[in-house]
Amino acid sequence: MASDHPVTAWLHAVAEKDRTAFAELYRATAPKLLGVILRILKDRARAEDVLQESFIKVWQRAALFDETRSSPITWLVSIARNAAIDALRKQPAEREGQETDIDEIPSRSPNVIDRIDDVQAQARLNRCFEELDKDRADMVRLAYLNGWTRDALADYFEQPVNTVKTWLHRALKQLKRCLDS
Amino acid sequence: MIERDDLDMLAAEFVLGTLPVEDRQRVQRLRTTHPELDAQILQWESRLSALNDEIEPVDPAPGLFARIERSIDQLEQASSQHNEVVRLRQQVSRWRLSTAAASIAAMLLIAVMMLEPTPTESPYVAVFQHNDEQPAFLLTVDLARKQLNIQPVTARPAGNQSYQLWIKDDELGPTPRSVGVLNEHFEVDPAALTNYDAELLRRATFGISLEPRGGSPTGQPTGPALHGFLYPTGEGADTNRL
Repeated sequence: MASDHPVTAWLHAVAEKDRTAFAELYRATAPKLLGVILRILKDRARAEDVLQESFIKVWQRAALFDETRSSPITWLVSIARNAAIDALRKQPAEREGQETDIDEIPSRSPNVIDRIDDVQAQARLNRCFEELDKDRADMVRLAYLNGWTRDALADYFEQPVNTVKTWLHRALKQLKRCLDS
Repeated sequence: MIERDDLDMLAAEFVLGTLPVEDRQRVQRLRTTHPELDAQILQWESRLSALNDEIEPVDPAPGLFARIERSIDQLEQASSQHNEVVRLRQQVSRWRLSTAAASIAAMLLIAVMMLEPTPTESPYVAVFQHNDEQPAFLLTVDLARKQLNIQPVTARPAGNQSYQLWIKDDELGPTPRSVGVLNEHFEVDPAALTNYDAELLRRATFGISLEPRGGSPTGQPTGPALHGFLYPTGEGADTNRL
């Protein structure tokens, strides 16, 4: 099976219960997924539990990966993010919704290594974010990267929850228009 | 009726993670039966995924992969017979309906599948968790000796709450009956099933709910909704098949 992306090839092999491919996949992607989870959960031990849970899901669901619908890394990150957010909702982190999160939000300048998507996708997303009001862009980032709830956003931005929801929807629609154009 | 645009915002906020918990769970269920919603979710995942480029990788603890492999070994060992799985899935659905009627919104359901006993096979049994998540527990029952054993897979300590094991069978009446409350080490009296006959145990459905510490105050499952998915296990038969 020819696959452009090594991660795609590993996922196909994992779907066939190939343990070696699973180990390769883990070696290549676990640090990134742990970074994603840790940013949301803050706690190292919890984050590693969720990483474990995520890789078990990957093992079980690899056959469902469809490269025509998702990039392999996006698919993996989504499993990890969903697991992390579900865990956070069940048991909120102590530091959730705090200002330290804000410090973690660079307005741009992503790190160079270990990119999720190609440079163009990154550049396009950055450009579209720049078109948003700063508060709204921060809201989307804090929700996506740090797992903030609408309530936490409402507290921080000192707005009613419904306003937050409205702002998020506007920001998302604007991003969609910009990205899809 | 949900407009297309609303559906798209539902998908977007699902991906963002800002949906209220109940909505989030609803979307997780709905996407399995609504291809359009699922497609919109995948599109949003893809639109926003470049945000993750900001995140620095973090090396996991060295032993973590071995832990993952052990969990997978347990799952694999728990090989399955597909028909049995389907049958049990139906059983669980029925049980969920009946418990819902009894106003229970919430449980982590685990059903146990018992393969036909054969003389050479010791404790078999299967576990599954309802819904689409990884198994929380493996429950093993030795039918001959009526000993049971629970192993947590991904289940975490319940903090101030307790997990409680239930059995449900028509012969026992319309509502689940408590088998026991798990202690902090996820243990329950291994002899708790001694009074049930093997025939009943073989067809019964089992469940685990999250309850106030010490167990359900009402004698019926009351805990918050944790969803599981069907995960069969059963030593013996065909362990190399998966």
